[in-house]
Amino acid sequence: MIRYDVIVIGAGPAGLSASIEAAEAGMKVAVFDENTRPGGQLFKQIHKFFGAKEHKAKIRGFRIGEELLAEAEKLQVDVHLNAAVIGIHDFNSIAVVENEQVSFYKAGNLIIATGASENMVPFDGWTLPGVIGAGAAQTMMNLHGVLPGKKVLMVGSGNVGLVVGYQLLQAGVEIAAIIDAAPKIGGYGVHASKVARTGVPFLLSHTILKAEGEEFVTGAAVVEVDSKFQPIKGTEKHFDVDTICMAVGLSPMSQLLRIAGCEMKEMGGLVPACNEYGETSISGIFAAGDVAGIEEASSAMVGGRIAGAASALRDGFIMQGDFEEKYKALKESLNQLRQGMFCKENRGKTDMTATEEGIPLSNSLLEKGYLLEKEIIKFPGVKKKAGVHPIIECTQNIPCNPCQTACKFNCISIGENITALPVVIEDSKCTNCGMCVASCSGQAIFLLNEDSEDGFVSITLPYEFLPYPKKGVKGIALDRSGNRVCEAEIIGLRTAEAFDHTALLTMKVPSEFAMSARFFTL
Amino acid sequence: MRIKEHPILGTIKKGKKVKYYYNGTEMEGYKGESIAAALHAEGVMVHRYTSKLHKPRGVFCAIGRCTDCVMIVDGKPNIRTCMTLLKEGMYIETQYGISGKEVWQ
Ligand SMILES: Cc1cc2nc3c(=O)[nH]c(=O)nc-3n(C[C@H](O)[C@H](O)[C@H](O)COP(=O)(O)OP(=O)(O)OC[C@H]3O[C@@H](n4cnc5c(N)ncnc54)[C@H](O)[C@@H]3O)c2cc1C
Ligand code: SF4
Ligand code: SF4
Ligand code: FES
Repeated sequence: MIRYDVIVIGAGPAGLSASIEAAEAGMKVAVFDENTRPGGQLFKQIHKFFGAKEHKAKIRGFRIGEELLAEAEKLQVDVHLNAAVIGIHDFNSIAVVENEQVSFYKAGNLIIATGASENMVPFDGWTLPGVIGAGAAQTMMNLHGVLPGKKVLMVGSGNVGLVVGYQLLQAGVEIAAIIDAAPKIGGYGVHASKVARTGVPFLLSHTILKAEGEEFVTGAAVVEVDSKFQPIKGTEKHFDVDTICMAVGLSPMSQLLRIAGCEMKEMGGLVPACNEYGETSISGIFAAGDVAGIEEASSAMVGGRIAGAASALRDGFIMQGDFEEKYKALKESLNQLRQGMFCKENRGKTDMTATEEGIPLSNSLLEKGYLLEKEIIKFPGVKKKAGVHPIIECTQNIPCNPCQTACKFNCISIGENITALPVVIEDSKCTNCGMCVASCSGQAIFLLNEDSEDGFVSITLPYEFLPYPKKGVKGIALDRSGNRVCEAEIIGLRTAEAFDHTALLTMKVPSEFAMSARFFTL
Repeated sequence: MRIKEHPILGTIKKGKKVKYYYNGTEMEGYKGESIAAALHAEGVMVHRYTSKLHKPRGVFCAIGRCTDCVMIVDGKPNIRTCMTLLKEGMYIETQYGISGKEVWQ
């Protein structure tokens, strides 16, 4: 039986980071993943990630996966793909199905980073072909280049529903609506806004009643629910859709930990009880990433690093002092990510009414996905200035700061605390370089120039759809809710390698629409 | 329905074109994609019918967990088409219960 110092199960961000950390310490490491591709959830994610630079913010998810894999391979980590781990025996050996055969491996330490699986809620017709998981939609379009359908109803308004919804639009699929049984949008406001401004309606306090059709989905029926989630008679609505996409949450895939005999606890699904280094009740078995509690790729990477370092310490590959130093830095990075209004402690809180800065939260953003003009002007990212200047419509305390890093001309500040709201600095001079617009993971930054005599203003917006409208083309400007507000002419289209596939579209609109026009359509 | 140009992924790279058979009809797909993806691109939604209630099933998870997508591939039943890669000349059939024929035992 082949022996390693560390065996990592799962090659997602947590598992790859754990293996990198352990291999760096000089350990002999193997990673096993049942998928054909490494990266876990990451290889389906084509959007730019949040966080700070050290969490690989503003890099698209699949690239983060590629970077981690390259790093692991450089350190000679053995990456076994198409290799499903089916059992753990005697605390330190694993059974793996590879090439339709079961083989066994042994290691001094096991790091379990198996991630999460998608939840499902049953409803009338839920087994009909055309009802698919959000992950399946991503696999179809982002891996195989196949459209999941022509018109989709998205069920779930958490970040997964919002992100996959946006990706469906990018692939050319129409979205009839995004519904959620909760009264408020679960995901980031910036993710909701980029979908809302294309005209996708949000129906909160709505649940799915039925997938219609005999052989496959031909429509969907939804209904409004009251505060106790009971359907309200007479509020049924019908959508002509061929696909119903389910994004109703994730549960930790912790079976292997249970099989191994680790002590478990209930935290949005069964998770292992772990110490601060990710070690379970069984010495030498660690858990990292979503399997230890659903979070984000950014925190999964840090958690993986901590577990990797802890296993190195356990086997004497690093010294106590070095470990403590490392742990302190990693813990600090984790703490940064675990702040703000979406962190674990604040999740599901309904009584939050203001940002950390004391600015009232927008109910329109939470219920419809977009801010009202009278609300947006209260935020520190929105200032009236001469010449071209950024308008930052990022209004919730989320762990993210690429906008601050992107601006080399010190126009934007977030400060040390990465969940603070971005501030446009009063006496700064914007050069119209566009880096902030392209770097903003939430596509929440616009450049406005109000200095024109002819009664028109120019607005630059991030644009990630094909085909790109050409310079000189006339079309319609949409507001934050996707409503048509005025005629608009494209006066500029910028693409650049540094923008990483986010085009910057500049449109000219009458000045009275300076603070309402936020999207363009033909 | 295939995506040709994608704003982020660019031109979708595909493997060699391969021919396969779906319930006897010749179809085209690409090497390296899953059977399920190839069928979906051609608009095939129903992969199988359940044995007791004869209800249609199709792709649900696309990662090998739900088994809704199983079909008869080259005579073998219960093949998860979302996890099995398409190959030249493959013979893919709708699965009825556990059989390839629309006869219910
Ligand atoms: C649509 C969507 C958008 C997201 N957007 C963001 C974002 O913008 N920013 C962010 O930080 N996070 C985002 N996330 C979350 C992020 O992707 C996850 O939190 C992260 O991938 C968790 O990492 P992980 O390594 O714990 O698990 P995963 O990435 O799920 O990886 C687990 C791996 O383990 C493998 N595995 C499981 N069981 C076994 C077994 N028995 N044997 C072998 N291998 C096994 C799986 O195949 C998988 O590859 C998003 C998630 C989704 C679904
Ligand atoms: S356009 Fe350039 S200079 Fe202006 S705020 Fe953005 S990053 Fe700074
Ligand atoms: S404005 Fe800054 S903090 Fe807000 S989403 Fe964009 S990059 Fe992140
Ligand atoms: S679609 Fe779930 S196993 Fe194939």
